[in-house]
Amino acid sequence: MEAVSRKTITVDINGERYEREIEARRLLIHFIRDDLGLTGSHIGCDTGNCGACSVLVDGTLVKSCMMLGVQADGAKIETVEGLASEGELNGLQQAFSDHHALQCGYCTPGMLMSATALLRENKSPSEDEIRKSIQGNICRCTGYVNIVEAIKAAAQ
Amino acid sequence: MLLREVEYARPASVQEALRLLGANDGARALAGGQTLINVMKARAASPDVLVDLADIGELRGIELGSDGTLELGAMTTYTDIVDSAEARARPILAEVCNQIADVQVRNRGTIGGNVCSNDPTNHLPPLLVAIGATMTIVGPGGERSVSAEDFFLGVYMTAAGPGELLMKISVPPGKGDGFASVPIGKDGTCIVNVAASMVGSGVRLAIGCVDSVPVLLKPESTEDDAVRSAVQNANLDPPWDVHASADYRRHLAETLALRAVAQAAGRN
Amino acid sequence: MSETTTVTPERPLVVEEGDVKPGFIGQNIPRKEDKRLVQGEGVFFDDVKRHEMGYVHFVRSPYAHARIKSVDVAKALELDGVYGTLTGDEVAILTDPFFELSTPPGANIKDYALAVGRVRHVGDPVAAVVARTRDLARDAAELVEVDYEPLPHVLDGEESLKDEVVLHEDAGSNTVWSGMFDWGDFDAALADADHVVRIERLHFDRFSSTPLECSGCLVEFNRGTGQWTIHGNHQMPGVGAIWMAPALRVGIDKLRFVSQDIGGGFGNKITLHPQYTACCLLARKLNRPVQWTEWRTDQHTANTHGNERTFLDVTVPVKADGTMLGFSVRAIDDCGAFPRYEPLGCIIWAQVTPGCYRWRNIRVDFTQVCTNKSPVAPNRGYSRMQHLWLTERIVDIVAGELGLDPIEVRKKNYVKHEEFPYETPNGCVYDSGDYSRCLDIALDLIGYSSLEEKQRDAESRGKRFGIGIGSTLDSGTNNFGQSMIINPELQFSGNNEVATVKLDIFGEVVATLGTVPQGQGHETTSSQVIAEILGCTPDDVNVRAGHDTYWNSTAGFSGTYASQFAVTGLGAVKGAAEELAGEMKELAAAVFGCSPDDIELVESQARIKGNPEAALPFMALGAILNANNAGLPPDLDVTLNVRYVYRPHFEKPDLERKFGNLTLTYATQIHACAVEIDPETGVYEIVDYAAVDDCGNRIHPQIVEGQVHGATAQALGAATHEIFTYDEEGNLLTPNFYDYHVPHAMDMPPMKNGFIESESPFTPLGAKGMGEGGGAGIHAVCAALQNALGSRGEGPIVWRSCNPYEGVWDLLQKPEETRKLVSVESR
Repeated sequence: MEAVSRKTITVDINGERYEREIEARRLLIHFIRDDLGLTGSHIGCDTGNCGACSVLVDGTLVKSCMMLGVQADGAKIETVEGLASEGELNGLQQAFSDHHALQCGYCTPGMLMSATALLRENKSPSEDEIRKSIQGNICRCTGYVNIVEAIKAAAQ
Repeated sequence: MLLREVEYARPASVQEALRLLGANDGARALAGGQTLINVMKARAASPDVLVDLADIGELRGIELGSDGTLELGAMTTYTDIVDSAEARARPILAEVCNQIADVQVRNRGTIGGNVCSNDPTNHLPPLLVAIGATMTIVGPGGERSVSAEDFFLGVYMTAAGPGELLMKISVPPGKGDGFASVPIGKDGTCIVNVAASMVGSGVRLAIGCVDSVPVLLKPESTEDDAVRSAVQNANLDPPWDVHASADYRRHLAETLALRAVAQAAGRN
Repeated sequence: MSETTTVTPERPLVVEEGDVKPGFIGQNIPRKEDKRLVQGEGVFFDDVKRHEMGYVHFVRSPYAHARIKSVDVAKALELDGVYGTLTGDEVAILTDPFFELSTPPGANIKDYALAVGRVRHVGDPVAAVVARTRDLARDAAELVEVDYEPLPHVLDGEESLKDEVVLHEDAGSNTVWSGMFDWGDFDAALADADHVVRIERLHFDRFSSTPLECSGCLVEFNRGTGQWTIHGNHQMPGVGAIWMAPALRVGIDKLRFVSQDIGGGFGNKITLHPQYTACCLLARKLNRPVQWTEWRTDQHTANTHGNERTFLDVTVPVKADGTMLGFSVRAIDDCGAFPRYEPLGCIIWAQVTPGCYRWRNIRVDFTQVCTNKSPVAPNRGYSRMQHLWLTERIVDIVAGELGLDPIEVRKKNYVKHEEFPYETPNGCVYDSGDYSRCLDIALDLIGYSSLEEKQRDAESRGKRFGIGIGSTLDSGTNNFGQSMIINPELQFSGNNEVATVKLDIFGEVVATLGTVPQGQGHETTSSQVIAEILGCTPDDVNVRAGHDTYWNSTAGFSGTYASQFAVTGLGAVKGAAEELAGEMKELAAAVFGCSPDDIELVESQARIKGNPEAALPFMALGAILNANNAGLPPDLDVTLNVRYVYRPHFEKPDLERKFGNLTLTYATQIHACAVEIDPETGVYEIVDYAAVDDCGNRIHPQIVEGQVHGATAQALGAATHEIFTYDEEGNLLTPNFYDYHVPHAMDMPPMKNGFIESESPFTPLGAKGMGEGGGAGIHAVCAALQNALGSRGEGPIVWRSCNPYEGVWDLLQKPEETRKLVSVESR
């Protein structure tokens, strides 16, 4: 095999298949946002600290700004756009709204994906476990207080 | 935030990976990407070719030998270690891995990447030096083993040279280990970290963040005076940065060494 | 005097499904904004795309101070996919310098969209490249060749005062503004004192609230009409247009600002006009939409920081019984390379001159200077936070040095509940509050009565323990006339905000706001107010999302800033809804042939009181007037489409005495903090935290609490790790979230919240703005550290607002170095 600077990749995002040719240098988050128009996942920093870009790749929570699009070739990706069903919010999304766990909403998609990953693995997390699960998601609006409450409520 | 142009390949075997790495001076191995992608985003370094190790089965897996030795494939992620039943043979590994950054980073970041990048603030280099791990390197000439204390050569430089790959890390069984650190915020980057490990009745301690490689010390005993004296005689010359002056790092190194050793002795 | 009610929930309040009582003001209704935001369907500026758009990358200075000898874009232009460039030379020809607020010498500063002739901080934009993709724009930017001649630079405010290195040759001095404020009779107070406490130096550090979404815009230019449309996240477009339009030599209406969702602003998205102007020029020059997305590194290095302020020679006369008679101070404010919104910060602190206290004799010698660092902007708590921190450090240090209880000193000197409305020494009127009561609640929540027990327990574990109080105010709804105190030539005074509310053909209630929300829930709270007045439900009220200057819903001061939405924004909404309600009753009366006084609006109908059969649903009202209006009386003057401008009552200040009411409302925050220090390392943890807030009537209590949580988190970050530090070359050492550590979920202490509601007598809804907070967390952490490290006249002095681990270590190791900052003269 040879190394290539462009590659055609195929991904499944929220159950829909996409095939595109992209540069090897393209970050997964830019592929999702700019090439595919799925702008729900956000960018908040340039050093992989803020977690606004968090998505699930083959069921694993990752920061999509620290992966190349080409690394996701063949993967099944889940983003915030896949959480609701036909406009009906899922329990976690509803809990975020009920508990005022979002203000500007910019960190929210990443938070929801991190919480989704947590709750799949741990049906009744403690407060410490919840905080640890969102340690990679920065929020500047809420102080995390209501986010933790919302995730607790969604777990019940 | 935007990388320079790069070429990419995803080989399925170690041999193929070595071939690709050897074919281009500017080729670099891509493990979890939690360091390398960031470096490339900042354009602080821009490899010409990225050799993605994700599909190479030989680099994965955690095995517990009958003699209690733990063998960790270089592509083992921090989460793999935290979740692994086998890794409980050396509990300090999961304990430290669980302090690294956040779950997203732990899911992708690998122990191979952590040791091969050898950023002075990383957690695993001092830990592996203290517990006396062994690294197995593979290159065009075949496989060879290097002890952890000989593996780290300089900032971002290790015994795994250009055209070579780290295959696995072998860790002897044990539980008399300690790790103490002062991070910037919970689970943040370390300002200073120290790992300690009981060896017989003696102790090894490795200080991170104070030099280009972990500083290995073998105090005469686990008594406070002996540990202090070992650290002071090491004449540490730590760097200054926005988080700590050289003096403060030197002081933290001594204090954390005492704590790490006490922890190790207490668990022995 | 106003009534107060105590509301102290044990945990944050939760919206219950279906639990909405009639009368929506004061209820926690579900937020309208949430449905789209939790689905990732918000529209932030970077989500907006245009066909054939170009992406902008700025070439930025690597030097803190340098002459630009040449800029060569030739190689960049050769790269395939590059659409064009912009340099300082072009900007100097095509635009005029931005309007400066100061008097000379500051007035003579020339500030352009790109650096012209000189760069004045690392990150100063020198040229812009536009390309087909983001990556290409970045690649091409590296090909722009700039020849710099480095100059000496100045990175310290006191050093800058000497004018040895001058940033702006047109001004000839680094002093942006300077003035003396003198109220009461400080010299008499000094003579009358039993003790005089002197503090040589205190320093409020440079930080910012770093919103998660960076700044940016997508600009389109319509060649036919000369109209620019800016999809961006500017949080005060009214003022943005005032800067940009004259610079671009066009009328204000040629700049249309559109935003829907904004990922936090906190004052850092108010001075975006230089980058926006560059993008406008590029959109016009290249005849295509251009988009600029700021990177995190750029936000930290080049846009924007909060004011950094040094307080020197603080002098505090005190009576033997602990009554503080006043204080004097020399303040030096470092505003970075360009003033922009400054020097307003030189007066805005005067909204809270005495802080929470009854000092009557205050003298402040205030100077603002430029340095070769990032420019500042009105970061959350703008200018008041720095000053209130000063007052709190004074109270703490005075109490410590004189051996007095800091709680008793506060209670003794706080403005008393019976004294409201209270006029401060410079004529500001504190509307309402009960500081002592808030303090008692805070002390109760933090378990203050068991302080000594907690201290002993900590000591037994080898730790040092301390509790501190941070009392502060959030002054809201500015009288912009205070700008005339800074510069009498300025033509700004008063304040305003606009809202429109209409009844559409099918009976829909549609509202537009002049404000620019960045997460404060304006759509929701507006709908609560409108629903209550019109007699429908918030679900019936459609508040258009975001902001658009095309809606004709803006006035000079429109925007979301300065803790005023609950007063100005909702004041406009209330006024518009009341007028619309009046028109709806008039129309119904005309249809029914009765008097408008006989009509009530209930359950989305206009009906005759006492006769529910005679009812017109809103749909009928809308349809009759808009589509079926034959037969209506000729003198019926209704449109069902109301535009209302809320204007708070202010007078122009007395410029000579620097006296007058500068803000309409004063929300209270009294916070308490407990810290535990590891004396072997200087590492400390905030182990407990209580926040008591009073912002008058709370329109949506959950939203208020959310603001308190967020402001507290930001304050705790600023107190512990968030600081913008520079190296000797003028490079920012904390340009990203690795090194600039903001609180993450595990860093937050347990938080207990309490509230009281002291209604404001001056506002339409009895509410007060409260979004900024006054930095109470910073004051409380400093006080807690001081308490733990030694008070009562011994030990070190906490003299900086940010105290990272090594800072605390230094205080522990060398207490004599900071102890010598304080002296007491007893008579």
